[in-house]
Amino acid sequence: MLEFQFASLAAFCEMAPHGVYVWPTYGLGLLVLGGLTLANVRQHRRAIRMIQRNLERE
Amino acid sequence: MGWRWFHQWGSPRWFYERAGRWQLVCGWLALTLLIMGSLWGLALAPVDYQQGNSYRIIYLHVPVAFLAQALYAAMAVCAVVLFVWKMKLADVAMQSIAVMGLAFTALSLISGAVWGKPTWGTYWVWDARLTSMLILAFLYLGVIGLRAAIQDPDQAGKACGILVLVGVVNLPIIKYSVEWWNTLHQPASLKLTEKPAMPASMWIPLLVNIVGYYIAAVYLILGSMRAIVLERERRSAWVRELVSRA
Amino acid sequence: MSLERRMLIRELKLIIARPGDIIKPMWFLVLVVSMVPLALVPDSDLLSDIGSAMIWVATLLALLLNTEHLFQSDFSDGVLEQWLFLNRPLAWLVGLKLIAHWLFHVLPLILITPIAGIMLSVPMEVLLALLVTLVIATPALTCFSGLGAALTLGSSRSGILGVLVMMPLFVPVVILAAGVLIRAMDGSDTLPLLALLGAFSVVAATLVPIAVSAAIRLNIGGSN
Repeated sequence: MLEFQFASLAAFCEMAPHGVYVWPTYGLGLLVLGGLTLANVRQHRRAIRMIQRNLERE
Repeated sequence: MGWRWFHQWGSPRWFYERAGRWQLVCGWLALTLLIMGSLWGLALAPVDYQQGNSYRIIYLHVPVAFLAQALYAAMAVCAVVLFVWKMKLADVAMQSIAVMGLAFTALSLISGAVWGKPTWGTYWVWDARLTSMLILAFLYLGVIGLRAAIQDPDQAGKACGILVLVGVVNLPIIKYSVEWWNTLHQPASLKLTEKPAMPASMWIPLLVNIVGYYIAAVYLILGSMRAIVLERERRSAWVRELVSRA
Repeated sequence: MSLERRMLIRELKLIIARPGDIIKPMWFLVLVVSMVPLALVPDSDLLSDIGSAMIWVATLLALLLNTEHLFQSDFSDGVLEQWLFLNRPLAWLVGLKLIAHWLFHVLPLILITPIAGIMLSVPMEVLLALLVTLVIATPALTCFSGLGAALTLGSSRSGILGVLVMMPLFVPVVILAAGVLIRAMDGSDTLPLLALLGAFSVVAATLVPIAVSAAIRLNIGGSN
Protein backbone atom coordinates (compact mmCIF):
# COMPACT_ATOMS: atom_id res chain seq x y z
CA MET A 1 0.00 0.00 0.00
CA LEU A 2 2.77 2.41 0.88
CA GLU A 3 4.98 2.59 -2.15
CA PHE A 4 6.74 5.47 -3.84
CA GLN A 5 4.46 6.62 -6.63
CA PHE A 6 7.13 7.99 -8.93
CA ALA A 7 9.66 6.29 -11.17
CA SER A 8 12.58 8.31 -9.83
CA LEU A 9 13.41 11.20 -7.53
CA ALA A 10 13.63 13.45 -10.59
CA ALA A 11 10.10 12.43 -11.60
CA PHE A 12 8.95 13.19 -8.07
CA CYS A 13 10.43 16.69 -8.30
CA GLU A 14 8.89 17.22 -11.72
CA MET A 15 5.53 15.74 -10.67
CA ALA A 16 4.42 15.84 -14.29
CA PRO A 17 2.50 17.72 -15.40
CA HIS A 18 1.52 19.64 -12.28
CA GLY A 19 4.81 20.23 -10.47
CA VAL A 20 4.65 23.96 -11.19
CA TYR A 21 1.39 24.11 -9.24
CA VAL A 22 2.03 21.67 -6.41
CA TRP A 23 5.53 22.64 -5.28
CA PRO A 24 5.03 26.44 -5.05
CA THR A 25 1.84 25.84 -3.04
CA TYR A 26 3.70 23.73 -0.48
CA GLY A 27 6.51 26.27 -0.53
CA LEU A 28 4.05 29.03 0.29
CA GLY A 29 2.52 26.92 3.06
CA LEU A 30 5.94 26.42 4.59
CA LEU A 31 6.63 30.14 4.25
CA VAL A 32 3.39 31.07 6.03
CA LEU A 33 3.87 28.61 8.92
CA GLY A 34 7.55 29.51 9.26
CA GLY A 35 6.86 33.22 8.97
CA LEU A 36 4.19 33.15 11.66
CA THR A 37 6.46 31.17 13.99
CA LEU A 38 9.27 33.64 13.42
CA ALA A 39 6.96 36.61 13.92
CA ASN A 40 5.83 35.16 17.25
CA VAL A 41 9.39 34.64 18.45
CA ARG A 42 10.34 38.18 17.44
CA GLN A 43 7.28 39.69 19.09
CA HIS A 44 8.05 37.79 22.29
CA ARG A 45 11.65 38.98 22.25
CA ARG A 46 10.60 42.55 21.54
CA ALA A 47 8.21 42.50 24.51
CA ILE A 48 10.93 41.24 26.84
CA ARG A 49 13.40 43.86 25.60
CA MET A 50 10.81 46.60 26.05
CA ILE A 51 10.12 45.54 29.64
CA GLN A 52 13.85 45.29 30.35
CA ARG A 53 14.40 48.82 29.09
CA ASN A 54 11.56 50.07 31.26
CA LEU A 55 13.09 48.35 34.29
CA GLU A 56 16.52 49.86 33.64
CA ARG A 57 15.04 53.31 33.31
CA GLU A 58 13.50 53.15 36.75
CA MET B 1 -13.39 22.67 42.94
CA GLY B 2 -15.37 21.78 39.85
CA TRP B 3 -14.77 25.09 38.08
CA ARG B 4 -11.13 25.49 38.93
CA TRP B 5 -9.99 24.25 35.52
CA PHE B 6 -11.94 27.15 33.99
CA HIS B 7 -11.17 29.95 36.42
CA GLN B 8 -7.44 29.50 36.33
CA TRP B 9 -7.59 30.83 32.77
CA GLY B 10 -8.34 34.19 34.38
CA SER B 11 -4.74 34.37 35.56
CA PRO B 12 -2.38 35.60 32.85
CA ARG B 13 0.60 34.35 34.84
CA TRP B 14 -0.74 30.82 35.08
CA PHE B 15 -1.39 30.86 31.34
CA TYR B 16 2.00 32.28 30.43
CA GLU B 17 3.84 29.60 32.38
CA ARG B 18 1.73 26.67 31.25
CA ALA B 19 1.46 27.81 27.63
CA GLY B 20 5.22 27.72 27.26
CA ARG B 21 5.18 24.00 28.00
CA TRP B 22 2.12 23.26 25.86
CA GLN B 23 3.69 25.16 23.03
CA LEU B 24 6.74 22.95 23.05
CA VAL B 25 4.62 19.79 22.90
CA CYS B 26 2.33 21.18 20.19
CA GLY B 27 5.20 22.50 18.11
CA TRP B 28 7.06 19.19 17.87
CA LEU B 29 3.88 17.17 17.46
CA ALA B 30 2.68 19.43 14.64
CA LEU B 31 6.06 19.36 12.91
CA THR B 32 6.14 15.54 13.00
CA LEU B 33 2.57 15.15 11.79
CA LEU B 34 2.93 17.73 9.04
CA ILE B 35 6.15 16.27 7.66
CA MET B 36 4.62 12.79 7.80
CA GLY B 37 1.29 13.77 6.26
CA SER B 38 2.76 16.00 3.58
CA LEU B 39 5.40 13.53 2.42
CA TRP B 40 2.83 10.74 2.47
CA GLY B 41 0.42 12.85 0.43
CA LEU B 42 3.06 14.04 -1.99
CA ALA B 43 4.98 10.85 -2.57
CA LEU B 44 3.10 7.78 -1.34
CA ALA B 45 -0.58 8.47 -1.99
CA PRO B 46 -1.77 7.17 -5.36
CA VAL B 47 -2.30 9.55 -8.28
CA ASP B 48 -5.87 10.71 -8.86
CA TYR B 49 -7.04 9.25 -12.16
CA GLN B 50 -9.04 12.37 -13.06
CA GLN B 51 -6.91 15.26 -11.85
CA GLY B 52 -3.44 13.77 -11.98
CA ASN B 53 -0.83 15.05 -9.57
CA SER B 54 -2.44 18.47 -9.09
CA TYR B 55 -4.83 16.90 -6.58
CA ARG B 56 -1.91 16.63 -4.12
CA ILE B 57 -2.54 20.29 -3.30
CA ILE B 58 -5.56 19.20 -1.24
CA TYR B 59 -3.22 17.86 1.45
CA LEU B 60 -2.49 21.52 2.16
CA HIS B 61 -5.66 23.18 0.93
CA VAL B 62 -8.33 21.14 2.75
CA PRO B 63 -6.80 21.31 6.27
CA VAL B 64 -6.10 25.01 5.89
CA ALA B 65 -9.63 25.72 4.64
CA PHE B 66 -11.14 23.75 7.58
CA LEU B 67 -8.95 25.67 9.96
CA ALA B 68 -9.85 29.05 8.46
CA GLN B 69 -13.52 28.43 9.21
CA ALA B 70 -12.99 26.77 12.59
CA LEU B 71 -10.88 29.69 13.79
CA TYR B 72 -13.72 32.14 13.23
CA ALA B 73 -15.95 29.97 15.42
CA ALA B 74 -13.16 29.81 18.01
CA MET B 75 -12.96 33.60 17.93
CA ALA B 76 -16.70 33.80 18.56
CA VAL B 77 -16.38 31.47 21.58
CA CYS B 78 -13.66 33.78 22.90
CA ALA B 79 -15.96 36.77 22.39
CA VAL B 80 -18.68 35.06 24.45
CA VAL B 81 -16.18 34.25 27.21
CA LEU B 82 -14.98 37.86 27.13
CA PHE B 83 -18.47 39.26 27.58
CA VAL B 84 -19.82 36.70 30.04
CA TRP B 85 -16.80 36.15 32.29
CA LYS B 86 -14.83 39.34 31.42
CA MET B 87 -11.77 37.17 30.99
CA LYS B 88 -8.87 39.22 29.64
CA LEU B 89 -7.20 36.18 28.19
CA ALA B 90 -10.16 35.63 25.86
CA ASP B 91 -9.47 39.01 24.31
CA VAL B 92 -5.80 38.11 23.87
CA ALA B 93 -6.90 34.88 22.20
CA MET B 94 -9.24 36.81 19.91
CA GLN B 95 -6.42 39.08 18.84
CA SER B 96 -4.11 36.14 18.06
CA ILE B 97 -6.76 34.07 16.32
CA ALA B 98 -7.77 36.93 14.02
CA VAL B 99 -4.26 37.19 12.62
CA MET B 100 -3.82 33.42 12.26
CA GLY B 101 -7.30 33.15 10.76
CA LEU B 102 -6.52 35.71 8.11
CA ALA B 103 -3.23 33.99 7.30
CA PHE B 104 -4.91 30.58 6.93
CA THR B 105 -7.82 32.02 4.92
CA ALA B 106 -5.37 33.70 2.55
CA LEU B 107 -3.39 30.47 2.26
CA SER B 108 -6.51 28.47 1.50
CA LEU B 109 -7.64 31.01 -1.12
CA ILE B 110 -4.26 30.99 -2.84
CA SER B 111 -3.84 27.21 -2.72
CA GLY B 112 -7.40 26.85 -4.02
CA ALA B 113 -6.67 29.23 -6.89
CA VAL B 114 -3.47 27.38 -7.80
CA TRP B 115 -5.34 24.06 -7.72
CA GLY B 116 -8.07 25.63 -9.87
CA LYS B 117 -5.67 26.49 -12.69
CA PRO B 118 -4.94 22.91 -13.86
CA THR B 119 -8.37 21.64 -12.77
CA TRP B 120 -10.74 24.33 -14.02
CA GLY B 121 -8.32 26.05 -16.41
CA THR B 122 -8.53 29.32 -14.51
CA TYR B 123 -7.21 30.67 -11.23
CA TRP B 124 -10.46 32.16 -10.06
CA VAL B 125 -14.09 31.20 -10.59
CA TRP B 126 -17.00 32.63 -8.66
CA ASP B 127 -17.62 29.27 -7.08
CA ALA B 128 -19.66 29.18 -3.86
CA ARG B 129 -16.83 27.96 -1.67
CA LEU B 130 -14.27 30.37 -3.09
CA THR B 131 -16.65 33.29 -2.71
CA SER B 132 -17.55 32.55 0.90
CA MET B 133 -13.86 32.07 1.69
CA LEU B 134 -13.17 35.50 0.21
CA ILE B 135 -15.87 37.04 2.38
CA LEU B 136 -14.42 35.26 5.42
CA ALA B 137 -11.08 36.88 4.62
CA PHE B 138 -12.77 40.29 4.62
CA LEU B 139 -14.41 39.51 7.98
CA TYR B 140 -11.01 38.65 9.50
CA LEU B 141 -9.52 41.79 7.98
CA GLY B 142 -12.32 43.84 9.54
CA VAL B 143 -11.60 42.43 13.02
CA ILE B 144 -7.88 43.15 12.67
CA GLY B 145 -8.50 46.64 11.27
CA LEU B 146 -10.96 47.54 13.99
CA ARG B 147 -8.51 46.56 16.71
CA ALA B 148 -5.73 48.52 15.06
CA ALA B 149 -7.91 51.65 14.88
CA ILE B 150 -8.83 51.81 18.57
CA GLN B 151 -6.05 52.76 20.95
CA ASP B 152 -7.33 51.51 24.29
CA PRO B 153 -6.83 47.70 24.28
CA ASP B 154 -9.83 46.96 26.52
CA GLN B 155 -12.16 49.03 24.38
CA ALA B 156 -10.68 47.59 21.17
CA GLY B 157 -11.22 44.08 22.51
CA LYS B 158 -14.87 44.68 23.32
CA ALA B 159 -15.52 46.38 19.98
CA CYS B 160 -13.95 43.41 18.19
CA GLY B 161 -16.05 41.07 20.34
CA ILE B 162 -19.26 42.76 19.18
CA LEU B 163 -18.10 42.61 15.58
CA VAL B 164 -17.18 38.92 15.84
CA LEU B 165 -20.52 37.99 17.42
CA VAL B 166 -22.49 39.86 14.76
CA GLY B 167 -20.26 38.22 12.15
CA VAL B 168 -20.75 34.70 13.46
CA VAL B 169 -24.54 35.11 13.41
CA ASN B 170 -24.35 36.28 9.82
CA LEU B 171 -21.82 33.74 8.64
CA PRO B 172 -24.28 30.87 8.01
CA ILE B 173 -26.66 33.27 6.27
CA ILE B 174 -23.83 34.47 4.05
CA LYS B 175 -22.77 30.91 3.32
CA TYR B 176 -26.24 29.74 2.36
CA SER B 177 -26.98 32.83 0.30
CA VAL B 178 -23.73 32.46 -1.60
CA GLU B 179 -24.52 28.80 -2.27
CA TRP B 180 -27.98 29.70 -3.51
CA TRP B 181 -26.57 32.49 -5.71
CA ASN B 182 -24.07 30.01 -7.10
CA THR B 183 -26.65 27.48 -8.19
CA LEU B 184 -28.55 30.35 -9.79
CA HIS B 185 -25.73 31.64 -11.96
CA GLN B 186 -23.02 29.06 -12.27
CA PRO B 187 -22.97 26.96 -15.43
CA ALA B 188 -22.80 23.36 -14.27
CA SER B 189 -19.73 22.56 -16.38
CA LEU B 190 -17.42 24.36 -13.98
CA LYS B 191 -18.54 22.35 -11.01
CA LEU B 192 -16.40 19.47 -10.07
CA THR B 193 -18.58 16.39 -10.06
CA GLU B 194 -18.96 14.80 -6.67
CA LYS B 195 -16.63 11.88 -6.68
CA PRO B 196 -17.11 8.56 -4.94
CA ALA B 197 -15.47 8.23 -1.54
CA MET B 198 -11.69 8.52 -1.47
CA PRO B 199 -9.72 5.31 -0.96
CA ALA B 200 -8.02 5.00 2.41
CA SER B 201 -4.59 5.45 0.85
CA MET B 202 -5.70 8.96 -0.08
CA TRP B 203 -7.64 10.05 3.00
CA ILE B 204 -5.37 8.77 5.75
CA PRO B 205 -2.55 11.22 4.88
CA LEU B 206 -5.21 13.93 4.59
CA LEU B 207 -6.42 13.11 8.10
CA VAL B 208 -2.84 13.21 9.39
CA ASN B 209 -2.37 16.64 7.87
CA ILE B 210 -5.70 17.96 9.18
CA VAL B 211 -4.71 16.99 12.72
CA GLY B 212 -1.23 18.37 12.08
CA TYR B 213 -2.47 21.75 10.91
CA TYR B 214 -4.89 22.06 13.82
CA ILE B 215 -2.10 21.40 16.30
CA ALA B 216 0.16 23.81 14.39
CA ALA B 217 -2.55 26.45 14.73
CA VAL B 218 -2.73 25.83 18.48
CA TYR B 219 1.06 26.17 18.62
CA LEU B 220 1.02 29.46 16.70
CA ILE B 221 -1.88 30.91 18.68
CA LEU B 222 -0.26 30.00 22.02
CA GLY B 223 2.99 31.62 20.89
CA SER B 224 1.35 34.82 19.82
CA MET B 225 -0.82 34.89 22.96
CA ARG B 226 2.23 34.58 25.21
CA ALA B 227 3.87 37.56 23.55
CA ILE B 228 0.70 39.66 23.84
CA VAL B 229 0.18 38.66 27.50
CA LEU B 230 3.72 39.74 28.30
CA GLU B 231 3.20 43.05 26.53
CA ARG B 232 -0.12 43.80 28.19
CA GLU B 233 1.00 42.72 31.67
CA ARG B 234 4.26 44.65 31.45
CA ARG B 235 3.44 46.64 34.61
CA SER B 236 2.58 43.64 36.78
CA ALA B 237 5.00 42.30 39.37
CA TRP B 238 5.33 38.78 37.99
CA VAL B 239 6.37 40.02 34.55
CA ARG B 240 8.99 42.34 36.03
CA GLU B 241 10.34 39.53 38.16
CA LEU B 242 10.40 37.17 35.19
CA VAL B 243 12.24 39.61 32.98
CA SER B 244 14.80 40.65 35.57
CA ARG B 245 15.55 36.98 36.29
CA ALA B 246 16.18 36.30 32.61
CA MET C 1 -45.07 65.80 23.32
CA SER C 2 -43.44 62.44 23.74
CA LEU C 3 -39.69 61.93 23.73
CA GLU C 4 -39.90 59.84 20.58
CA ARG C 5 -41.71 62.55 18.68
CA ARG C 6 -39.28 65.20 19.88
CA MET C 7 -36.36 63.09 18.68
CA LEU C 8 -37.81 62.68 15.22
CA ILE C 9 -38.56 66.40 14.98
CA ARG C 10 -35.01 67.20 16.05
CA GLU C 11 -33.64 64.99 13.28
CA LEU C 12 -35.91 66.70 10.78
CA LYS C 13 -34.75 70.13 11.92
CA LEU C 14 -31.13 69.06 11.57
CA ILE C 15 -31.80 68.04 7.97
CA ILE C 16 -33.49 71.34 7.17
CA ALA C 17 -30.57 73.20 8.71
CA ARG C 18 -28.05 71.25 6.67
CA PRO C 19 -29.64 70.10 3.41
CA GLY C 20 -26.19 69.31 2.01
CA ASP C 21 -26.18 66.09 4.02
CA ILE C 22 -28.90 64.57 1.88
CA ILE C 23 -28.04 66.30 -1.38
CA LYS C 24 -24.43 65.09 -1.51
CA PRO C 25 -25.20 61.34 -1.56
CA MET C 26 -27.88 61.92 -4.23
CA TRP C 27 -25.41 63.93 -6.26
CA PHE C 28 -22.88 61.11 -5.85
CA LEU C 29 -25.41 58.49 -6.98
CA VAL C 30 -26.35 60.32 -10.17
CA LEU C 31 -22.72 61.11 -10.90
CA VAL C 32 -21.59 57.49 -10.51
CA VAL C 33 -24.48 56.27 -12.66
CA SER C 34 -23.63 58.76 -15.41
CA MET C 35 -20.06 57.43 -15.42
CA VAL C 36 -21.27 53.95 -16.35
CA PRO C 37 -22.11 54.62 -20.02
CA LEU C 38 -18.95 56.70 -20.33
CA ALA C 39 -16.76 53.91 -18.96
CA LEU C 40 -18.63 51.22 -20.91
CA VAL C 41 -20.36 51.82 -24.23
CA PRO C 42 -23.54 53.86 -24.61
CA ASP C 43 -25.35 50.77 -25.92
CA SER C 44 -28.86 50.85 -24.47
CA ASP C 45 -29.37 47.05 -24.66
CA LEU C 46 -26.26 46.38 -22.61
CA LEU C 47 -27.05 49.23 -20.22
CA SER C 48 -30.56 47.98 -19.57
CA ASP C 49 -29.12 44.54 -18.76
CA ILE C 50 -26.59 45.73 -16.20
CA GLY C 51 -28.30 48.99 -15.28
CA SER C 52 -30.24 47.77 -12.26
CA ALA C 53 -27.15 46.09 -10.80
CA MET C 54 -25.15 49.27 -11.35
CA ILE C 55 -27.79 51.36 -9.61
CA TRP C 56 -27.83 48.91 -6.70
CA VAL C 57 -24.08 49.15 -6.26
CA ALA C 58 -24.11 52.95 -6.65
CA THR C 59 -26.93 53.24 -4.08
CA LEU C 60 -24.98 51.01 -1.70
CA LEU C 61 -21.95 53.29 -2.00
CA ALA C 62 -24.03 56.44 -1.59
CA LEU C 63 -25.68 54.89 1.45
CA LEU C 64 -22.31 54.16 3.01
CA LEU C 65 -21.29 57.73 2.31
CA ASN C 66 -24.11 59.07 4.44
CA THR C 67 -24.09 56.49 7.24
CA GLU C 68 -20.36 56.74 7.85
CA HIS C 69 -20.83 59.52 10.41
CA LEU C 70 -24.27 58.51 11.65
CA PHE C 71 -23.47 58.91 15.35
CA GLN C 72 -20.46 61.21 15.06
CA SER C 73 -22.08 64.61 15.67
CA ASP C 74 -24.34 63.24 18.42
CA PHE C 75 -21.25 61.70 20.02
CA SER C 76 -19.10 64.83 19.90
CA ASP C 77 -21.78 67.21 21.20
CA GLY C 78 -22.74 64.88 24.04
CA VAL C 79 -26.23 63.84 22.93
CA LEU C 80 -25.32 60.15 23.15
CA GLU C 81 -24.27 60.60 26.76
CA GLN C 82 -27.65 62.16 27.50
CA TRP C 83 -29.31 59.08 26.05
CA LEU C 84 -27.85 56.99 28.85
CA PHE C 85 -29.77 59.04 31.40
CA LEU C 86 -33.16 58.88 29.72
CA ASN C 87 -35.70 56.47 31.10
CA ARG C 88 -35.70 54.50 27.86
CA PRO C 89 -33.61 51.47 26.87
CA LEU C 90 -30.61 52.59 24.85
CA ALA C 91 -31.39 50.08 22.09
CA TRP C 92 -34.80 51.68 21.64
CA LEU C 93 -33.28 55.15 21.23
CA VAL C 94 -30.73 53.75 18.80
CA GLY C 95 -33.56 52.14 16.86
CA LEU C 96 -35.36 55.48 16.69
CA LYS C 97 -32.22 57.19 15.47
CA LEU C 98 -31.82 54.53 12.79
CA ILE C 99 -35.46 54.90 11.75
CA ALA C 100 -35.03 58.67 11.52
CA HIS C 101 -31.89 58.20 9.50
CA TRP C 102 -33.64 55.84 7.14
CA LEU C 103 -36.62 58.18 6.72
CA PHE C 104 -34.70 61.41 6.19
CA HIS C 105 -31.45 60.24 4.58
CA VAL C 106 -32.01 56.90 2.87
CA LEU C 107 -35.52 57.30 1.54
CA PRO C 108 -34.70 60.48 -0.45
CA LEU C 109 -31.81 58.57 -1.99
CA ILE C 110 -34.14 55.78 -3.06
CA LEU C 111 -36.61 58.25 -4.49
CA ILE C 112 -34.12 59.51 -7.06
CA THR C 113 -33.09 56.06 -8.27
CA PRO C 114 -35.83 56.13 -10.97
CA ILE C 115 -33.96 59.03 -12.59
CA ALA C 116 -30.80 56.92 -12.56
CA GLY C 117 -32.85 54.04 -13.98
CA ILE C 118 -34.07 56.15 -16.88
CA MET C 119 -30.51 57.28 -17.57
CA LEU C 120 -29.44 53.64 -17.89
CA SER C 121 -32.59 52.69 -19.85
CA VAL C 122 -33.72 50.15 -17.28
CA PRO C 123 -37.13 48.73 -18.31
CA MET C 124 -40.14 49.93 -16.32
CA GLU C 125 -41.05 46.66 -14.56
CA VAL C 126 -37.43 46.09 -13.52
CA LEU C 127 -37.27 49.66 -12.25
CA LEU C 128 -40.31 49.00 -10.10
CA ALA C 129 -38.70 45.83 -8.72
CA LEU C 130 -35.52 47.80 -8.08
CA LEU C 131 -37.42 50.38 -6.06
CA VAL C 132 -39.19 47.69 -4.04
CA THR C 133 -35.92 45.83 -3.29
CA LEU C 134 -34.25 49.05 -2.21
CA VAL C 135 -37.11 50.01 0.10
CA ILE C 136 -37.19 46.53 1.66
CA ALA C 137 -33.42 45.99 1.88
CA THR C 138 -32.15 49.38 3.03
CA PRO C 139 -33.39 49.08 6.65
CA ALA C 140 -31.02 46.13 7.11
CA LEU C 141 -28.20 47.96 5.40
CA THR C 142 -28.81 51.08 7.50
CA CYS C 143 -28.67 49.02 10.69
CA PHE C 144 -25.41 47.32 9.74
CA SER C 145 -23.69 50.50 8.64
CA GLY C 146 -24.94 52.14 11.83
CA LEU C 147 -23.16 49.38 13.74
CA GLY C 148 -19.98 50.06 11.78
CA ALA C 149 -20.29 53.76 12.59
CA ALA C 150 -20.88 53.04 16.29
CA LEU C 151 -17.94 50.62 16.57
CA THR C 152 -15.48 53.14 15.16
CA LEU C 153 -16.85 56.10 17.14
CA GLY C 154 -13.97 56.22 19.58
CA SER C 155 -11.12 56.23 17.09
CA SER C 156 -10.30 59.56 15.53
CA ARG C 157 -8.58 58.23 12.43
CA SER C 158 -10.90 55.38 11.53
CA GLY C 159 -11.95 56.94 8.19
CA ILE C 160 -14.03 54.52 6.17
CA LEU C 161 -13.12 51.61 8.46
CA GLY C 162 -16.67 51.30 9.79
CA VAL C 163 -17.86 50.77 6.23
CA LEU C 164 -15.14 48.28 5.34
CA VAL C 165 -15.88 46.26 8.47
CA MET C 166 -19.58 45.98 7.70
CA MET C 167 -19.46 45.46 3.92
CA PRO C 168 -19.11 41.64 4.06
CA LEU C 169 -22.38 41.45 6.00
CA PHE C 170 -24.21 43.04 3.07
CA VAL C 171 -23.62 39.95 0.94
CA PRO C 172 -26.93 38.14 1.61
CA VAL C 173 -28.91 41.34 0.97
CA VAL C 174 -27.16 42.03 -2.30
CA ILE C 175 -27.58 38.43 -3.45
CA LEU C 176 -31.30 38.34 -2.64
CA ALA C 177 -31.91 41.72 -4.27
CA ALA C 178 -30.04 40.63 -7.39
CA GLY C 179 -32.19 37.49 -7.43
CA VAL C 180 -35.34 39.61 -7.36
CA LEU C 181 -34.06 41.79 -10.22
CA ILE C 182 -33.15 38.80 -12.36
CA ARG C 183 -36.59 37.30 -11.83
CA ALA C 184 -38.20 40.64 -12.61
CA MET C 185 -36.24 40.78 -15.85
CA ASP C 186 -37.52 37.43 -17.10
CA GLY C 187 -40.95 38.03 -15.64
CA SER C 188 -41.08 35.24 -13.04
CA ASP C 189 -42.42 35.37 -9.50
CA THR C 190 -40.42 37.69 -7.23
CA LEU C 191 -42.57 37.46 -4.14
CA PRO C 192 -40.74 34.61 -2.28
CA LEU C 193 -37.41 36.39 -2.55
CA LEU C 194 -38.92 39.70 -1.51
CA ALA C 195 -40.37 37.97 1.54
CA LEU C 196 -36.93 36.60 2.45
CA LEU C 197 -35.39 40.02 1.97
CA GLY C 198 -38.08 41.54 4.16
CA ALA C 199 -37.49 38.89 6.83
CA PHE C 200 -33.79 39.69 6.83
CA SER C 201 -34.54 43.38 7.26
CA VAL C 202 -37.00 42.78 10.09
CA VAL C 203 -34.59 40.54 11.99
CA ALA C 204 -31.71 42.98 11.43
CA ALA C 205 -33.83 45.92 12.57
CA THR C 206 -34.78 44.09 15.77
CA LEU C 207 -31.38 42.69 16.74
CA VAL C 208 -28.75 45.08 15.40
CA PRO C 209 -29.83 48.07 17.56
CA ILE C 210 -28.93 45.96 20.61
CA ALA C 211 -25.40 45.50 19.25
CA VAL C 212 -25.24 49.19 18.33
CA SER C 213 -26.23 50.23 21.83
CA ALA C 214 -23.51 47.96 23.27
CA ALA C 215 -20.98 49.61 20.96
CA ILE C 216 -22.14 53.10 21.99
CA ARG C 217 -22.02 52.25 25.68
CA LEU C 218 -18.49 50.97 25.16
CA ASN C 219 -17.36 54.23 23.57
CA ILE C 220 -18.94 56.41 26.20
CA GLY C 221 -17.83 54.23 29.09
CA GLY C 222 -14.34 53.89 27.65
CA SER C 223 -13.68 57.60 27.34
CA ASN C 224 -13.84 58.36 31.03
